[in-house]
Amino acid sequence: MASIMFYLLSLILLTATLLCIFQRNPVHAVLYLVLGFFSLAIMFYLLGAPLVAAWEVIVYAGAIMVLFLFIIMMLGLAPQDRPEGPGWQRWLPFVILMAAVLACTLVIIALDPAATAQGEPYSLGPQDFGEALFGKYALAVQVVSFQLLFAAVGAYNLGRIQRGKGKP
Amino acid sequence: MSSTTGSLPTTAPILFEDYLALGIYVGIALFLVAILLLLSWGLGHRTRSRIKNEPYESGVYPTDNARLKGPVPFYLVAIFFILFDIEVIFVASWAVAYDRLGWAGFGQVSFFTLVLLVGLLHLWKTGALDWGPSAARQNRKNQDIP
Repeated sequence: MASIMFYLLSLILLTATLLCIFQRNPVHAVLYLVLGFFSLAIMFYLLGAPLVAAWEVIVYAGAIMVLFLFIIMMLGLAPQDRPEGPGWQRWLPFVILMAAVLACTLVIIALDPAATAQGEPYSLGPQDFGEALFGKYALAVQVVSFQLLFAAVGAYNLGRIQRGKGKP
Repeated sequence: MSSTTGSLPTTAPILFEDYLALGIYVGIALFLVAILLLLSWGLGHRTRSRIKNEPYESGVYPTDNARLKGPVPFYLVAIFFILFDIEVIFVASWAVAYDRLGWAGFGQVSFFTLVLLVGLLHLWKTGALDWGPSAARQNRKNQDIP
């Protein structure tokens, strides 16, 4: 059952990515990318990494997408020529793919409500993940914390409005 | 995908109660969407013309494009959001296993948070988080002083 789900989600992911590449409207492309991240998250869950699945949704679909949308806003990439009317045909592939992802999620929940599939040989539960991250790879975590500090300071120095100039 | 990861086990008895909450939730959501769509379809007028499609009907004529370029400070806010979102991931990864990690893990996560707190304080003190009128006032004040 999970194998079928895996291949179905792979198909959704590939279709969403191709549609993302061939969209003319950048905002629509971002929406297809979000759809791809959702199906990727469910694939991570099926592979036995529930925490990675959650982080995929929170960081990629949540934060990275915000960055993409801000870039689109900053550069003003949205096309000028918009056809009149609702244009539901353009939304049909997105709606179908989103419904398929939702159906896959519901089937997984329905088949395994208590997530007992976590007893697989190389699955990694949230607690094991946290233990490995702050036990075995603790030094790497501290390096990452410094890197985040540099990123915050560097981003501010690059992007701030220069005093006296008004505009950057 | 091999068969070792494959099958979702069917050994656990699936209870009706497991589905009940999910089913009720899905039912309410579908019902609400259907009601809203049907009401707006039934009660609304279905005239369609060029004037009806204007953003402000009987109002001011829109003169320019609505898609403006956003200024760079908005982008900074997005970057800070991502940075602190990634920090949340590490802290939450510690939080789910705090009892297994013990005091050593607590020390690790404290140091991690401390480093990022230094970053936050630096951003705060240098005015990266200032926003709106206060930032503009500060900017103007700095311009007045040569």
